[in-house]
Amino acid sequence: MVVTTWALTGTSVASPVVGKIELPPPPDRPVATTKGFLDRVENPNKPVRPVDVGPYLLVVLENDTKPASPGQVTWELVGDSFNRPVIGVPVGAEVVIKNVSKTARTLAAAEDPKVVPAEPINPTGSKAFRVGQPNVYTVSDKDAPHLKGKLVVVNTSYVSNVEVTNNVGRFELADVPEGTYKVRIFYRDNWLDRPDDTVTVPAKAKVKTEVNVKVISLATKK
Amino acid sequence: MFWSKIWFFLVAIAAVVAFTIALVMPRPAQRAAANEEKRRLTVACGVVGILLEGDARNRVDLAGAFARTDKIVAELAEASAAATLDDSRMKKAREVGASVMKTIEGARKPDFAILIDKKGRVVARVRLDENEFGDVVAGRPLVDDALAGYLRDDLWAQNGTMYFVSASPVIKDRDYVGAIVLGHQLTNEFSKKLLGESLLVSLGFYFGTETVAATETIPLDQKVMRAGLGLVKGPDLKSDCTNPINKPLTIRAGKDDFTALLARLPGEAGARGAYYSVFMKKPAEIGFGATLDVVTQEDLAFSNFPWILVGGGFLVILAGGIGLMLLESDRPLRRLAADTVRLAKGDAERLGEDVHPGKFGSIARSVNIHIDKLGRDAKTAKKDLDQLLGPAPEGSLGTIDLLATALPSVRPGGPAPAAAAPPSEFRFGDSGPLQARTTTPPARPGTPPPVRSQDIRIGAPPAARPPATPAFGLATPPPVAAPRVMTPSPMARVEDKPPVSFVSPPPDVLDTGAPPPLTLDDDILGPELVAAASGAPVDPYFKQVFDQFVAAKQSCSEPTSGLTYEKFSEKLLKNRDDLIAKTQCREVRFTVYVKDGKAALKATPVKDE
Repeated sequence: MVVTTWALTGTSVASPVVGKIELPPPPDRPVATTKGFLDRVENPNKPVRPVDVGPYLLVVLENDTKPASPGQVTWELVGDSFNRPVIGVPVGAEVVIKNVSKTARTLAAAEDPKVVPAEPINPTGSKAFRVGQPNVYTVSDKDAPHLKGKLVVVNTSYVSNVEVTNNVGRFELADVPEGTYKVRIFYRDNWLDRPDDTVTVPAKAKVKTEVNVKVISLATKK
Repeated sequence: MFWSKIWFFLVAIAAVVAFTIALVMPRPAQRAAANEEKRRLTVACGVVGILLEGDARNRVDLAGAFARTDKIVAELAEASAAATLDDSRMKKAREVGASVMKTIEGARKPDFAILIDKKGRVVARVRLDENEFGDVVAGRPLVDDALAGYLRDDLWAQNGTMYFVSASPVIKDRDYVGAIVLGHQLTNEFSKKLLGESLLVSLGFYFGTETVAATETIPLDQKVMRAGLGLVKGPDLKSDCTNPINKPLTIRAGKDDFTALLARLPGEAGARGAYYSVFMKKPAEIGFGATLDVVTQEDLAFSNFPWILVGGGFLVILAGGIGLMLLESDRPLRRLAADTVRLAKGDAERLGEDVHPGKFGSIARSVNIHIDKLGRDAKTAKKDLDQLLGPAPEGSLGTIDLLATALPSVRPGGPAPAAAAPPSEFRFGDSGPLQARTTTPPARPGTPPPVRSQDIRIGAPPAARPPATPAFGLATPPPVAAPRVMTPSPMARVEDKPPVSFVSPPPDVLDTGAPPPLTLDDDILGPELVAAASGAPVDPYFKQVFDQFVAAKQSCSEPTSGLTYEKFSEKLLKNRDDLIAKTQCREVRFTVYVKDGKAALKATPVKDE
């Protein structure tokens, strides 16, 4: 099942790419960024839910072609979190952060304070900006340290989130032009530390290209 | 004096040591007080942390109980299944939440509750922002953990205050259907209740630079506390109270100084700079003066203070000092004083040198040296005068004894020397009474001096006197020969004075040639005496002396046929000048007396008034 795809190119000969990612067992729930006077304790009635790694995964198909028309990406601020903790954005695309919560936020990118406009985003308000270089930005509010999102700027238009069920992740990219692409997977903070897979998209239109990727570990590059 | 000095030195050292001890002694006490102050703050800080943990445990338990309430479970299960949340669902859930909160008993009733579905959306809020719902609170660590199945607590800061929050998952039929969050506001009352009264410190909770709650409204300097808090690092917040880097801070608040120990608070608020402090008023510095200020009467009570030891020590020191003074100063001084009195009375000729110790012996030796010098000077002076005047004449004119006593002790009108001629007020150039000076002009060169004084007396006849009588009238005149006043001056006083005393004229009337022999009889009897007498003025003083001398010779049955006044006065004048030149005296007094049955004449130099 494909969740979100923003293939924004207008190539004449293109076909969809669907992929399946075999994931390892979900990792242990990370230590809370903050803790109270006591350590958290598991409830006695039911095991703790496993970590859902899907929202933290991105799949990217890259080749030497730069995105011709990157388009616009909307990232919603839903309260004390973004609607997605990790979002992929083609280079040059317009990023629109929309505040649908009831609290004004002032966001900033830790890696480059100039990336995100410094003005606060009021409830129902939005801020738009563009990023010209591929990079990973951590967008947060200093008044709400728990509010963090990863903005992954990539040098391609073919980036997709992943829906994970039973340790199997699925994604779909529409209208991928013919060619050979490198498959890269981003998890939580960085790209997975694994050899990149390749996929070749044929010239025939409307023919799905299937990609099967096996991820042994969710360890990321340092 | 040696041991007295040693004693003084020892007492001074003891005093300095005692004073040093008095100044230094409070410092260890000050350090001990500071250590005790730090210990109390450290203990209080740790105790506060423990109490906060205990309170958190109670709150988590309360959240678990709240989440297990059937009404809550059912309501959140329905909300989680709904695609959207509407107002009616919110109100229904809020009523459920409020009804459950009413059932909570005890002192720690929550101030608010939040009901969250399994997607992290707020279904309803109770007692705080009750009309707001639908926002996603997933993302907050507390909520995420609760939705994942954990029970935990946290500390939130919002709307200018802080809340102790606790959360629990809501489970229905072994499925997670949501979570609930309970909040307890941090207030002054909670601070006081938490601290109690046994720790004897104050407690404050701070968020950034704002005081959120405190047991006392003391405006501590937040800038100093923030700076101190910045030094405390490390992930283990529980060790803040005992962290050696985290030293107690001295913080000014108004006119008072406080000592505060800081510790970071956990949770979201802690990540944003929330902390608490235990503090107490800084005790006064324990210096020397401050120590004296706090001494009470009881401290000086006989049972608490070693008065016997102190008094005994004082008496020992005092007795030692007095004893050494008596031995080395007072008694030797008294001995020297008594010895000096004996010397003054004439009972002793010298001071004993060996009987006086130390410096007193040196004084005695110095005095003796001076006495010896005076004696030698006197002998030398007498010898010189003997050379000047020659031996006493043995001729018909009599003997001239000009230095029968030591020169310095001869003073007209002063105490009589041991063997001196009686004092007289006859003198030349006398600066005596104004009356005498105005009626008698001073002597000038070439003119015989006038008589300036009187009491010219002739003693008893030789038959009535012992032959060794040194001079006329030294003693009380014998009754058979009353004193005879001889040509008194018009201004002279007649007093009961020693008998005969003549004062020579000033020296400037004489030539300063070599001194001739001082025997008078040859010259007086010589023929030139008569020749020289012609036309010479008659000096009344010399005339008186002459008359006395003639009378004395006659009383001794000595011939006076060749004795003329002119020759006599010339001799007197010359002798007087010679004597003045030799002895540097002001005047010369002539005294007629009888020696060995013959009339004699003695010249006595008068040095000063």
